[in-house]
This record gives sequence, C-alpha cells and structure tokens, in this order.
Amino acid sequence: MVTLSICVGSSCHLKGSYDVIEAMRKLIKEKGTVDDIDLKAAFCLGKCAFDGVSIKVNDKIITGVTPDKVKDVYEAEIAPLIGK
Amino acid sequence: MGKDATLVEYGSLSLNKKGEELCGDHVVATGNSDSSSRTFVLADGLGSGVQANILSTLTSTMLSEMIEGGLSIEESVEAVVKTLPVSKSRGNVAYSTFSICKLARDDILYVYNYDNPFPVYLRHGKELSIPVQETVVEGKRIAFYQIKMEAGDALVFMSDGVLYAGVGETMNFGWGRDEIVHYLEALYDDSISAKNIATLLVDHCSTLYNHRPGDDTTTLVIKKREREAVNVLVGPPTNPDDDEKTMRLFFARGGKHVVCGGTSTKVVARYLEKPILTDIDYLDPEIPPISHVEGVDLVTEGVITLNKVVEIAKDYLGGNSLYFEWSFRQDGASLLAKTLFEEATDISFFVGCAVNPAHQDPRYNIDISTKMGLVEELTKALRTMGKRVRVAYF
Repeated sequence: MVTLSICVGSSCHLKGSYDVIEAMRKLIKEKGTVDDIDLKAAFCLGKCAFDGVSIKVNDKIITGVTPDKVKDVYEAEIAPLIGK
Repeated sequence: MGKDATLVEYGSLSLNKKGEELCGDHVVATGNSDSSSRTFVLADGLGSGVQANILSTLTSTMLSEMIEGGLSIEESVEAVVKTLPVSKSRGNVAYSTFSICKLARDDILYVYNYDNPFPVYLRHGKELSIPVQETVVEGKRIAFYQIKMEAGDALVFMSDGVLYAGVGETMNFGWGRDEIVHYLEALYDDSISAKNIATLLVDHCSTLYNHRPGDDTTTLVIKKREREAVNVLVGPPTNPDDDEKTMRLFFARGGKHVVCGGTSTKVVARYLEKPILTDIDYLDPEIPPISHVEGVDLVTEGVITLNKVVEIAKDYLGGNSLYFEWSFRQDGASLLAKTLFEEATDISFFVGCAVNPAHQDPRYNIDISTKMGLVEELTKALRTMGKRVRVAYF
C-alpha cells in the first residue's frame, strides 16, 4: 500500500490542488490501482516556494506537480512501489 | 461573557416594487445589546418610489428618535402626524403605517401597530396569542400589547407587501396572515438567525410574486436567543515560544473552537497531541477542504476560506442571496459562516501574527497584511450583525 498525500494548503490550492487531485483520481481509476493507493489530502508540506503542487509519496515529497505531469509522476514514483 | 445569558438580535430584508429604484418601506433600529433600551420601527410609506421612501424614512426615524428620547408612544405619534406634510392627492394623509417595538432593559417588549399587518409573535416557533389593547391618537387607532421576551421568542414585523404577496401574479388575494404564520412556524428553528427568518419569508414572497413584486415587501425580525461563545484561532503566534501559552489561553475558553490555517492547525495538533485528518473531497473547487483534529470543532484552511467568509458576510448584511448556498453546503467557508453568523453571539479571535513564508510569493497576492485585513473586515461585519467581538493579537 502506497500512501499518496496531495497538499491542499493555501499556496498549493492556488496552484491547482483541485485539478491535480481530480487528475490523480482519474488516473488511479484507469490503472485499476484504487486498492493499492491510499489517496489523501495534506496541509502545507512546507515546499511552497516551488511552482506547482507538492505531493508526498510515502515519505518522499515531490514538488512542482501540475495536472499534465500527474501521469509522469505516477509512472516514475508510484508505479515502481506497487509493481503495477 | 457578561451576566446576561441571552441576547437580542434583529435582521430585516426588503424587496422593492418592480421597476422601483427606492423602497417605500423603511426599517430603523436603535441601540445595541449594551443599551438600556432598544427601539425598532418598520414603516411603510403610502404609494411607492421616492414619495413613499421619504415618508417611511421620516416616519420611522422620527418615531425611533422620539421614543428612544423618552417620549411616550402617543406623544411621538402625535408629533409625527402633526409634522409631516400632507398630500392633497392622497386624501390628505401623509405619514405612513408603522409597527414599533420598544425593548426595555427588564426584557419587557412593548409592541405598537398602526395599519401594518398584525405582527407575528413566535415562542419556540409557535404563534403566541397575546391580548391586544387599542389606543386612539389623532384619530388613528393603534393596537398595542406588552410581553416579557424570553429566549426562543421572535417578533416578526411585515409591510403589507408580505401579506399581499402573489396578488396580480399567482393569487387573487395574496396568501393571507394565517398562511404566513404557518410558513413561519414551519421554518422556525431555535438555531436560525433573525436575518435568515426575514430572508426566508421575503424570498417566499418573491416567489409568490413571480419575482415581480406588486408592492414594496419588507420583514423585520427581532429575536431573543441564548448566547453562544465561539473562539477562532487565525495564524500561529509571532514567536513560536508563545505557541504553548497561546494554546492554553485559547483552549481554556468556553464555547466552540475553530482553527483557520494549515500552520495554526499544526500548532494545535501538536499541543493536543492529536493527528490532523484532512478531507480530500473538494466540496467547492474554490475552497480548500477542511480537516479534523479531535478537540477542535472546525478546522479550515486560512486566507482563501476567510476571504470567502468575508464575501458571504457582506452579502448577509445586504440582500443575503448567498444564504441559499452556504446554508446547506459543507465546505469550510460555508461551515464557518454558519458557525459565526448563526450559532455565535460572542466571538473571540486569536490572531497570530507570524509571517507565513508560503504567502510571500508576490504572484499569489497573499501576505500577512491580507490576513490582517480579512480579520478586520470580518470583525466589522460581525459587529454590524450585533455580535460581541473581541480580537487579541499574539
């Protein structure tokens, strides 16, 4: 099980948390990995100075996520952890 | 909180007759919860438009000023009748119809009604029938009664536009006072604010009129309720060494506890030694989701949510059209609006002045002054609503 937290703090919210969450939800559904990923929201992850939204995969923080980067982030950071 | 465990609040709303820029009904309220007496007047000027507006404004202002100044109701009415200009084209009448209520410090409410639909007095949502007397001043028959106001009582004044709502559109004779009483009894709940009772009644009239009111339509609601304290923490203290002390002060206070802002929530969670559970569901794409921390009644994001609450507050004081959205929505701003506008009577803001590095990005236009400005605007609006507000900075 991978814990995936998406920041919904003020700064990330303004940079598009809502769209990133929706894109990630859609992708997880497409990939059929709903049961492998615990998708959550998080308050400020402390990386506000970066462009895009901050997300946390288990304990690793990834910054600069935008809706069009969701797929790449998934393939690079999440897929290897669940082996799907 | 003071000795008195109750508070009187009021709210009013008007619809203008279709095509009119000005309302011919006028509401005046004097005094606040600290005054020795308070006077409320709803006057309905004859005709519509400018003339009615001037008549009702003059009548209601003169009456409330004189009554507040200690004159008896008879003397005040006599002065109004003798002073206002007479309109030859309107059968030599000039002043307007009116409903007056004077609330003395001992909670005795004196109600006088001249030719407006007879006011509705609700006790816990049921109409109370009160023996009415009559007095004649300058040939005008004025109905009056007095009653000791209790928590859970609401007095509803209305202009005849409320009574005749629907005439010319959906009904032949309007809906009548009995139906109005049924409607009020059905919507009443001890938790609903005076302003929202007025809003629901006037909105229903608007529907009956097909949104083309045939007359100026106004409701004024005066309600006595139990006091409720709500404490709101906005932002962490300037100096992190004060976190512990501020938290102790904040949680030592009775009533509900609301925390706005991610960093403040972290400080609170650390103090309470509880985890933060953030909702992922964006109930409103504009407002960041709320969180949950055991021991805190409501946890929201900071500036974006507060900005929305300020917007709702300004609307609430005016036309209250957003009410039909926030009253049932569950996003952070709607929940906070409900807590502050409907539940709370005594609000304490704990404002931390720490600068959030997340907000220093000039592209997003939020910084410490934004937050301070929002708290100031919100405080002002809440005071206008009749709330007792206290703000402390840390």
